[in-house]
Amino acid sequence: MSTFGRRDRSGPSRRALLRYGASGAAAAGLVASWERLTGADIPGRDDDALTVATLGSSVDPAAQRALRDGFQELHPEIQVRLIAVQATDWPDFFAKILTQIAAGTAPDVVYVATEGVQLFAENLGVALDDRVRRDADELREYFADVHPSLVESMMYEGSLYQLPVEFNAADMYLNTSVLRSAGLATPPPHWERDDFTALLTELRAAGGSGFTPYYWTNRLWGGVVPWLFVNDTNILAESRAPGGAWLWDAFYPGEAAAGRGGGYRWTTPQATSDRVVEVYEYLTELIQRGLCSRPEGGSGNNLVGVFSTGRVGVTPAGGFWAGGLHEAGMDRDGYDVTFFPRWRGQRHQFGGAGYALLRTSNKPDEAWEFIKYSVRGEVMEALFQGNQTTPARRSMLNAERYRTTGPAGWRTFYDTLDAFPDTGPIPAPPQVTEVELALTKHTGTALGSPGAVRPALRAMQNDLEAAMERAW
Amino acid sequence: MVSELRTRGRAQRRAARLMAAVFLAPTVVGVVVFTVVPIVGSVLLSLFHWNVIDSPRWAGTANYRQVFTDSTVLVSFTNTLLFMVLAVGLQLGLALALALALDGRLPQWLRAAFRSAFFFPLVLSAASISVVMKYLFNQDFGVVNWALGHVGVSPVPWLTHERWAMVAVVLVYVWQQFGFSLLLFVGGLNNIPREMHEAAAVDGSTGWRKHLHITLPLLSPTLLVASVVGVINALQVFEQPYVLTDGGPGDATRTVVMVIYQSAFEQLRFGEASAVGVLLFALILAVTALQFRLSRRLVHYQ
Repeated sequence: MSTFGRRDRSGPSRRALLRYGASGAAAAGLVASWERLTGADIPGRDDDALTVATLGSSVDPAAQRALRDGFQELHPEIQVRLIAVQATDWPDFFAKILTQIAAGTAPDVVYVATEGVQLFAENLGVALDDRVRRDADELREYFADVHPSLVESMMYEGSLYQLPVEFNAADMYLNTSVLRSAGLATPPPHWERDDFTALLTELRAAGGSGFTPYYWTNRLWGGVVPWLFVNDTNILAESRAPGGAWLWDAFYPGEAAAGRGGGYRWTTPQATSDRVVEVYEYLTELIQRGLCSRPEGGSGNNLVGVFSTGRVGVTPAGGFWAGGLHEAGMDRDGYDVTFFPRWRGQRHQFGGAGYALLRTSNKPDEAWEFIKYSVRGEVMEALFQGNQTTPARRSMLNAERYRTTGPAGWRTFYDTLDAFPDTGPIPAPPQVTEVELALTKHTGTALGSPGAVRPALRAMQNDLEAAMERAW
Repeated sequence: MVSELRTRGRAQRRAARLMAAVFLAPTVVGVVVFTVVPIVGSVLLSLFHWNVIDSPRWAGTANYRQVFTDSTVLVSFTNTLLFMVLAVGLQLGLALALALALDGRLPQWLRAAFRSAFFFPLVLSAASISVVMKYLFNQDFGVVNWALGHVGVSPVPWLTHERWAMVAVVLVYVWQQFGFSLLLFVGGLNNIPREMHEAAAVDGSTGWRKHLHITLPLLSPTLLVASVVGVINALQVFEQPYVLTDGGPGDATRTVVMVIYQSAFEQLRFGEASAVGVLLFALILAVTALQFRLSRRLVHYQ
């Protein structure tokens, strides 16, 4: 038997192994020297940079770059890492941020929507009160331009946790092309629920197959909740926390802040109350009569397409839709916006968003500088050019902004706050994820048939009670 | 001379062991780091309350007691088992039928084209497919109902009705997954000696009798592999119900992995999520063990 044969059975020689090892090391060295992503690129692992997490789809990449570059020009000593988290909607964004936190790579600053204001404030947020007081002069112009309802929605137990950057109230979008074809006029701003039903009935009669008079999505914002609001009720009893005078006295003297407190409290579940039942029975009736669809879960991404192509007559949406419809090719005269119809009242629902400073940050001062920077007029102008949302600053809503995209009734967006001072945020206590799950889950079941409403709402009540009793 | 040979023999065995260790190391490290450690970690985590932000607190069996009394968790296990039965049954049946059809008299190039076409959905992301399917299955504007309308079928509430929602999720899942089973079956059919079929034909066995008595028994090892992989995948279904229905309406399509995701990453109850994960692991283990036990009687290795 040859030496070669023996080696063949027992594997490569030591020399060959060394050769393979050297080749492997060289290859590893080459790979290591290649320009690539490393662990330091993971958010939160680069200690030198201030990490800011934003919702990627809410503003375009160029605007994001402008935000970062503008801040670095102002504060060259602060390095900023802007992470645009891609998410379909706020709950999705929220879950991704929580995943980052779970991974130990929490950002310093996070863009938080109303859904997460109290959850973040309770567990992760830093109250901005002292900083706001300290820089009051710098912020006076900002607060003068922002409605107190938006500011109050960012307060929790007397303290302010975010400066609102944007908001979207759930108004009613009308497909005016469809209305014109059906020989119908745009309803007046102060219309009633019965006017709404009559409008849908006429649209149903005029529309052919494949047309849905009222289309909506099963979610916390813009789903069943706006109907609860106009019927002067909610799934959780709502009250105001004490405190907040420090802010109202300093920035909203006089009548502007009358009756305001230290933020909202959502406590006792009331899903089985008569008014809530009334809302679900009304919506079930619309479904049974073919006037509206059974709502699908999810973000409602497909809605822009079906609305802009005339297959939907009416749908709830906010200022964010002006840009969306324009991009979908809808003419500015093809649609308009008005208030939700009056029922027992005409209180509207809104959701807002702003930057929150996280307790885990080791750069709180730099983070505060960024938060202040983000609400400057010129910065928000640069950020919100495409009407993908409603800016929190009143001065930014003007005819010029909506000249290209429409709608003609653009004033409705901010008037929703001005005309109805009781307009408030979506119910979002610290247990918001469980509340939203209970709401969407049982809404889907409740709207199956008239007989399903009460059992489903009883189940919702049970789930809400369990959610509110459990410590976060 | 003898001692020299012994020394050389020992050196060769050492070298062989070293080589075996070197080649096994990447796999062993991978399995330990990415499978064993997470499993042990999940079991440990299931014994704690942990919300990511605060330190974990000892919970003992509290998380298990909680999940056993949580109706959503129990419903999710029922849904997942129902989904598994429907999806795996349909997936294997469809794949087998098409594999037999492809094994027939089609030209080679056409068979290859069909195989590629059927396998293609598997390389796409399940989430992307589900987003597209959500449009197609929309009750009011979807292409599916539009097509059904042409043959006189009223609009089906695919995604908003308790019963239809599960059907839609199963259809979307099977459409994407059956290509893998198909490929396995095509390979299995190719390994069946032609003489067996010829002998059966000589004995007068044709058509379905031939498939029942010759093809299926000889294909049974492949069927076992396809069913084991299919069951394990089906029990872990997530993307399709998450995107298509968000688990609804109600809890109609909420699966176990959805509950794990929601408990952990939406409600920050990592302990409870881990407890559900451990239960799912036990279920998969039990079902797979049952499949292998049944295979002793049903699978023929020629």
